Amino acid sequence: MYMQIENLTVQEVMLTCDKFPIVNEEELLRETIIEMCNYGLGIACIVNKDFKLRGVFTDGDIRRLILKVQKPIAALYVDDVFDYSTKEYTSIIPETSLKDAVLIMEKLNIWDLPVVDDKKCLKGLLHLHPALKKLLGV
Amino acid sequence: MNSKVITIGGNGVNYVEVGKNKPLIFIGGPCAIESEVHTLHMAEEISKICRDIGIQWIFKSCYDKDCRSSKDSFHGVGISEGLKILSKVRDKFKVPVVSDFSDASWAAHTAEVCDLLQIPAYLCRQTSILRSAALTKKPIHLKKGQFMSPWNMKNSVRKLESFGCESVILTDRGTFFGYNQLVNDMTSLPIMRKIGYPVCFDATHSIQLPTSMGNISGGQREFIPYLVRAACACGVNAIFMEVHDNPSKALSDANTVLDLKYLKTILSEAVEMHNLRIKLTTKNGEFNVHAD
Repeated sequence: MYMQIENLTVQEVMLTCDKFPIVNEEELLRETIIEMCNYGLGIACIVNKDFKLRGVFTDGDIRRLILKVQKPIAALYVDDVFDYSTKEYTSIIPETSLKDAVLIMEKLNIWDLPVVDDKKCLKGLLHLHPALKKLLGV
Repeated sequence: MNSKVITIGGNGVNYVEVGKNKPLIFIGGPCAIESEVHTLHMAEEISKICRDIGIQWIFKSCYDKDCRSSKDSFHGVGISEGLKILSKVRDKFKVPVVSDFSDASWAAHTAEVCDLLQIPAYLCRQTSILRSAALTKKPIHLKKGQFMSPWNMKNSVRKLESFGCESVILTDRGTFFGYNQLVNDMTSLPIMRKIGYPVCFDATHSIQLPTSMGNISGGQREFIPYLVRAACACGVNAIFMEVHDNPSKALSDANTVLDLKYLKTILSEAVEMHNLRIKLTTKNGEFNVHAD
């Protein structure tokens, strides 16, 4: 059992790109939040036309934004989500061990990790629940 | 804050560049095309003033005034006659011309003559109008509706872009403040500039008192110079003003058009304000004073 866990990699349980919110750099903030609601996930990945990951936008970003922003909500809604995204995001590669990935999530207190290749092209998303289920063997 | 530089003109008339760090541009002329003689006279007078000041300009006059308060007000010379006259202005003064249009079926014909297509403020979110303008591939002068927030103009711009338009000037002409009154919110200018295109301030419509005189609009012309200075300080790329040599006899917008005799002074001040603003932003950068 111990060896099995050590051998598990992210690519076995990551969500494929049709299973989580992905928006382009020009997407409006409100449309992005709607996408996050549609998928029931607290993260949206922002990609350029080459599908390179430019930033991530999370529930936490929304909370901090609402507390900080002074402009009317109607004005905020039509801003580009990219303006408020985290550009210095943490990402993993498909070959990262699942255990290491969960430890990164624990350390950063996050629930999702974008998965990219060596060219920063988005490949998937590691969400905590499927990762834990796999590690627990359930 | 990036704003595109767009080019208007060519094809026999001067090229006019509008955008970031470019010289201030003037867009102006009589509100309506009243006659060929009057239109050519106004173009000649404005041309002289702009040449003296050294400002590039675009001649504006409309062939159809579809938004008049009264059915009895002057409605315009019509598209055929109007475009013929605008074509003569182009040929004689080598200046780009602009007219608005209020019916989607007029766009293609208007674009055969006009270097810039103007979308009236009250139609600024009308998809059919935006689509027809974009399909001409001509630069578009899009006025912010008096009922629109500056940030919501992004929706109209996105519509234009989705139909293939790449060149837009966004213009503020005042915002409704209750009934029959407009307010000039200078914060709209940097907000609209953030959408990514050059921004213009329409000084003569901004001082309008919409339909304040029962069935025609009034205006407070005395505020034009103040607003022009303020808009230039806020970083507009162009100033729009309707001008007439005899305002009280103007067939359209008689209460808001600027008397030609004041144009040179106001435009000279605008150019000086614009150049000072560029000097300051070059020295100090665009301010971001928000506590991040």
